[in-house]
Amino acid sequence: MTDVKATAGKAKKIGGFSFSTYMRRYGTLYLLLLLPIIFFIVFRYTPMAYILMAFKKNNIIKPPWQVAWAKNGGFEWFIKAFRDKQFIRALRNTITLNLLDLVCGFPAPIIMALLLNELAFKRFKKVTQTILYLPHFLSWIIISGLALRLLADNDGLINILYKRNTGNPDAVIPFLSKENWWIGSYIAFGIWKEAGWGTIIYLAALTGISPELYEAAAVDGAGRFRRMWHVTLPGLRPTIITLLIMRLGYILGSEFDRPMAMGNTLVTNVSTVISVYVYQKGINGGGQFSLTTAVGLFQSVVGILFLFGANSLAKRFGERGIV
Amino acid sequence: MKRILALILTLALIASLGLVSAFAADELVDGKFAETRHITVRLFQRGDNVPETSPFADFIRKGMLEKYNVEVEFAVSGRWSETEDLATVLASGQAPDVIYTYAYPTILNYADMGGIIDLAPYIEQYKDLLPNLFTLLGEENVYWDKDPETGNLWALETRLVNNARINTFMRKDWLDKLGLAVPTTKAEFEACLVAFRDNAELLLGADADRMVPYSTSYDIGWRNNNLTVSFIPDAISDEELYIHGFDDRQQTEPGAKEAIRLLNKWYNDGLVWKDFALYGSGDTTEDDNIKAGFVGAFQHNWDYPFRNGEDSIDANLKRNVGPDAAYVAVDPFENDAGAHRKFLGSTVDRKVCFPSTNDEILASLLYLDFISSPETILFLQTGTEGINHERAENGAFMMKVVDSADPNYQASVNNIDFTMTCNGQYLGEYTEVSLAYGYAPVASELVEGAYAIAMTDGRIPGHFSLPAIEAEAEVGDTLSLERNSFLNKAVTASVEDFDKVYDDGLANYMSIGGEAIMNERAEKLEAATGYVHQAD
Repeated sequence: MTDVKATAGKAKKIGGFSFSTYMRRYGTLYLLLLLPIIFFIVFRYTPMAYILMAFKKNNIIKPPWQVAWAKNGGFEWFIKAFRDKQFIRALRNTITLNLLDLVCGFPAPIIMALLLNELAFKRFKKVTQTILYLPHFLSWIIISGLALRLLADNDGLINILYKRNTGNPDAVIPFLSKENWWIGSYIAFGIWKEAGWGTIIYLAALTGISPELYEAAAVDGAGRFRRMWHVTLPGLRPTIITLLIMRLGYILGSEFDRPMAMGNTLVTNVSTVISVYVYQKGINGGGQFSLTTAVGLFQSVVGILFLFGANSLAKRFGERGIV
Repeated sequence: MKRILALILTLALIASLGLVSAFAADELVDGKFAETRHITVRLFQRGDNVPETSPFADFIRKGMLEKYNVEVEFAVSGRWSETEDLATVLASGQAPDVIYTYAYPTILNYADMGGIIDLAPYIEQYKDLLPNLFTLLGEENVYWDKDPETGNLWALETRLVNNARINTFMRKDWLDKLGLAVPTTKAEFEACLVAFRDNAELLLGADADRMVPYSTSYDIGWRNNNLTVSFIPDAISDEELYIHGFDDRQQTEPGAKEAIRLLNKWYNDGLVWKDFALYGSGDTTEDDNIKAGFVGAFQHNWDYPFRNGEDSIDANLKRNVGPDAAYVAVDPFENDAGAHRKFLGSTVDRKVCFPSTNDEILASLLYLDFISSPETILFLQTGTEGINHERAENGAFMMKVVDSADPNYQASVNNIDFTMTCNGQYLGEYTEVSLAYGYAPVASELVEGAYAIAMTDGRIPGHFSLPAIEAEAEVGDTLSLERNSFLNKAVTASVEDFDKVYDDGLANYMSIGGEAIMNERAEKLEAATGYVHQAD
């Protein structure tokens, strides 16, 4: 009876229920969703109005809609950024460090997950995994302190041992004080910190691979490496592609604490990435808030372009993509 | 009838009082606000200290309430993140009514945005109410930043009473142990460093490989300033110093390169701490080395080894090494005229301004006057007798060691975080006799000797009242970071590469803002005085 009425009255039906029945049943779930929605509106969407600053005269005292437009049709700051040697340098460093991170850091958790997957002793595997996760929970400030104690030219542990072994007090490995060595240390610490954590998602994906495939491969005479190559890796492929797309969307993104904490005055030429540039030009005395907003906007737009680019590329190669 | 008359009279009295107070809402009645006013004031915090609950804060709050009926609230900001904090509170419209910072270009930048009040008309209007402020700062400091073209006055320059700046310190006990005299020339100074290096085993025993003959930090310009200045021609004019002087490290002046070249030589000879560039601002590694007794010599603030009581370098050194261990100030860097020139601070220190959100301008100005009065400064600097100090027979204030957890502890030298308008001991007739006793438990002779050397052949660069230099407002910290970076690279380069590294670095530094500032300074100086810049 009621059903007939509902269909007759309003054509609206959600999942086979009338709107009011539906809301009575699932309304609490929507109520639960309200919290994150409010969070996003207040902390993610409202601040977006201030992107306007990138096109206005430099002013943080007045709200941007009360400030006059910047020169050159509002694009003054974008033009200025691309004429600024320091910005170009920061852009170059961001891309260099992110690409190196991608090339060296992206395969690391995959390899590690494959290795972990082959471990026969359950308990040993668990302990190893836990130890690998641990560095993820250290902040970059702590890791930079560790790096200095270990790698400093004069007082670093490794160099002290090296000097004693070689018997030459001037023989030091400039881990942190020469630009190329610093980049190496920077990437290596990044891998050490995040590779273990990164295995989690791959290990989860591995559990989804049917054991029958392994059995079939074994019957066909495939050894361990063959099975890894023909069963495990193809099984991980969708996960790898998804994560790769997300990483590419981040190609111009930059962490702040990592380069800021790991850097020092001898390597600013390679360590100053966009986020550090924004910090220095913006709140750290520079007061160039419109310029730094413009840079941030540029960063995000390029990020989105890369994300969609990688996504459509993935689809063209027959993968599902994420968008 | 009587009753009605009384009623009428009472009403009339109340009405007239109301009228008076309505008229005097902005004015003072017998030097006091009729209604309690409320202002917030910026206050720096260092370490774990809680300055806003100290007896010094209480003294100010109580004094302001009693004298002017103004409630004072302190808004605490970290000393080492003050620039960032200032940007945040200004942007959110929550800036304290009275703010201060060290960099005038920063204030200028916010003034351009309409965030700072022009003090010029208020200073004129209320001048008579501010006798202490004018006595302490003097007309010179009050109008120091007045723009000669627009007449704007965005900030008041507070007073630097003690303008001693930088000293060179050396381990006296090491010199004695090696039979060396206190160095008086660069060559002798270098010979001492070499002797320290070569006698590491004698001086440090098992710790010989920790030997650092000469220590410095990433801030090469500041931490080697006496050395730098000794390479600048003695005859350089105030005008040239002004044009070059957009930062206080004197690194673009003629001759500065040779100072860095000498440091580079020392570095390559194994005389300079190898890790100096790796540690950033606020890191204690270098201080720890000095306190542990591994370091032979360094340059720093003229009183640096004596600061912080029981945690001072001097006290730590005596605990770690022995009662004879001490750093004494030495004066080894002669210039082309044979003088041991040091550039002293002028009369200006921090810059005080009011944000545009301040609607208690008179109360804020009265606050500045209150903390500029000699009685207030006396208490803020010397604290309570028996706790912070004892008096000597000649009246000198002898400061005592106060535990850092004690609310009476002063987290900054001479309590400058509270004496916003005054930096340096300001104790009237007792200033001179008290100076050497300001650093308990450090022996007064050490302090006296250091002060005398810090002032020897001192030169205060002249001040020119010019319109705002727009190019300075834009560069902020990026320019000084770039300067530190290229100087560090130059010092650590090989001797053969030095010229290239230094020249490239300087050229880059000039191209990203240094040159624009110097040109604008030169132009505005020429327009005002007719002086023509001598390009070098």
